[in-house]
Amino acid sequence: MSVAQHQHLVLGGVSFVAFVVFVCLIPFSRRTWFSEFAALNLLLATLMFGSVTVLDFSGWRAEVLAALLTELPVVSVVSWVCLAQAGHLPVRREALPIEPVACRPRLGIVLKTAPLFLLLAWVLAAVIGLAWPSPAMQAYAPAPPEFVLFKWTMMAAEGFYSSIAALVFAVAARSTALDLRLRLKNLTFCTGMLCIALIALVSASFAGVRLWVSSESRRTVLEALLTLETYLAAICLFSFAFGLALRYTPIISGTLLRQIHSGWLLAQERFESLTWRAITSGRVRGAIRASHHIAEAADLQGLSDSDAEKALAAVQLVAVMQNPGTDIEHITPETARELYELQEEILNDEALASKIGWTTRWRPHTHEIQTISSAPLHDALEVALDLVDYHDEQPDNRPRPLWHHLVAVSVADVGLVDPARVRARLGHQPEHRMALDTYGAVKSELRSRTLNDRETTSQDGWRVK
Amino acid sequence: MLIIDAPRFRVTNAVLKGARVLGRLLLGVETSQPNVAAARPLLTPEQFQEELAILGFSGREFGPEEYSEALGNYLGISIAIYIIPDAHYPELARRLASAGRLAELRYSEELGIAAIIVPGSLPPLVLALTILHELGHLAAGDHLIEPSRESQREDLHKHDRETAFATSRISRGNRLARALPLAEESLREQEANLRASYALVAGCLGIESPYAHEMYNIL
Repeated sequence: MSVAQHQHLVLGGVSFVAFVVFVCLIPFSRRTWFSEFAALNLLLATLMFGSVTVLDFSGWRAEVLAALLTELPVVSVVSWVCLAQAGHLPVRREALPIEPVACRPRLGIVLKTAPLFLLLAWVLAAVIGLAWPSPAMQAYAPAPPEFVLFKWTMMAAEGFYSSIAALVFAVAARSTALDLRLRLKNLTFCTGMLCIALIALVSASFAGVRLWVSSESRRTVLEALLTLETYLAAICLFSFAFGLALRYTPIISGTLLRQIHSGWLLAQERFESLTWRAITSGRVRGAIRASHHIAEAADLQGLSDSDAEKALAAVQLVAVMQNPGTDIEHITPETARELYELQEEILNDEALASKIGWTTRWRPHTHEIQTISSAPLHDALEVALDLVDYHDEQPDNRPRPLWHHLVAVSVADVGLVDPARVRARLGHQPEHRMALDTYGAVKSELRSRTLNDRETTSQDGWRVK
Repeated sequence: MLIIDAPRFRVTNAVLKGARVLGRLLLGVETSQPNVAAARPLLTPEQFQEELAILGFSGREFGPEEYSEALGNYLGISIAIYIIPDAHYPELARRLASAGRLAELRYSEELGIAAIIVPGSLPPLVLALTILHELGHLAAGDHLIEPSRESQREDLHKHDRETAFATSRISRGNRLARALPLAEESLREQEANLRASYALVAGCLGIESPYAHEMYNIL
């Protein structure tokens, strides 16, 4: 067995072990497109290195051909990695580019050219190697200048693209805000690509040594280079295997997020904006009066800001649902029920519901963040639906907060719902009595204030005070 | 709603229009008609994530103000957001509400200024999404659509495929989106809504966004 055959046997063995490790140790659930491609490539590499070891290559052209074939797995892996970094894998249409590439579009363009230039370099090397054959598989033999040209053509392209890919992975691994597992994953891929780049450098140096170094020291240098190449190949394969085994699953489910994007968020925005439009344009009967009374009653009872907001929102919702108007788009109890159920689903994921929020700082003097769980709409919807969309008139025995009763009394008072039904359902609860008393007191107070105002206004409309 | 104050005459516009006319005459190419390859589906969260990476917001928490500032810097225009206090101008809010609108985006090509006018009485979520919606129009490049092409909307729409929609030609100018703006106005509005909801959620989740993670987990 020649030295080259021995070297290829070692590389074939390493590839085969990596393939076995992948098949046996990485479960189906953890496999990605790249891992399957890499495994296939490893098998291909094993077969190539194996055939080069077993077959007898007599003639320099056959040696060149064998050397070319063993480069194919490397060319395909580097191309795949570069395309994946640019987000242009043909098998994954929705694939995102890696972050450092996404913010540097020119780098993306360079990476996208990898398959083209790597293949071109390979073809060019094939033309050079076949036109001017050289002893490509005789590791320690002196080589002609054509061999250096043949080898360097391929190695320059491989070294260039794998160095760029390694650099991109290194930049990605530097992001301190990232999960440790993801950083480690990028670091291992960086190591893997760096090893490929170093193998290309070692291979190019190998060709140079065969051409320029004298026969006395050549063997020693070449042996060292071959050993280094083997170690680098082993580190590279181990790095990729380790990186692929590090599977990362995000805490927040992408499916739920898609539901939020295209379902809930837009529905809630539509709902709130329709309510705002209806109230602001003054098309809703009774809403302004009821809201005014509610605000005063909440103040009198010392309700929290949050409860007062919920009560006001509930009054507006009842008013909008009971006054559909002439708009094509309007709020019905059915659409309100749908939104409520959507909200319930989102609220089941507490972590997400407390994360997604919006600022109220656009308004002066308020700087709070409202989240899905803290926003008043969900509770207000529940109350509004309870008052508008119910199918029996049995007494409701569930204990309701005071603001719920205030809303019920208020919307019944302005004629938005039937007062008899409200009495039948909620009248037996002690808070309802309290709400009735408070609301009555507020109304009397407001009435007397209005009368006082009228008395202090002259007949022609000018204030005399 | 997007209102564009385009300059009446510009040498570059005239040259471009002249080139199109020449192209039609010499090559027989009808440049104003969209081709099928220009059709595209609506924006996906992944594509939006790429836009965020360009603005430097991938994996970072941000609000509408920061997004507006970064977008303005990227587009090379000044974006001003005016929150109108309704207590002082109730008529403005009433007019917008009666017209079924929530905000107005005004863009002056000549001055390089975009102004978003929003009533302050909007509910907080609607306010945030409305501002992001208008910013979404700027990111998509809707403000660059040539007014002369507006009348051809119906023809453009005939080229729709199942999930792909015809795009519109635009004048020179920066836009954040990779793809051309959609030809039909209702689809542009739909996409601006999507962009707003993607932005709101991404801005809240920051590094916890699964799309941000996907950018670090490519193999």
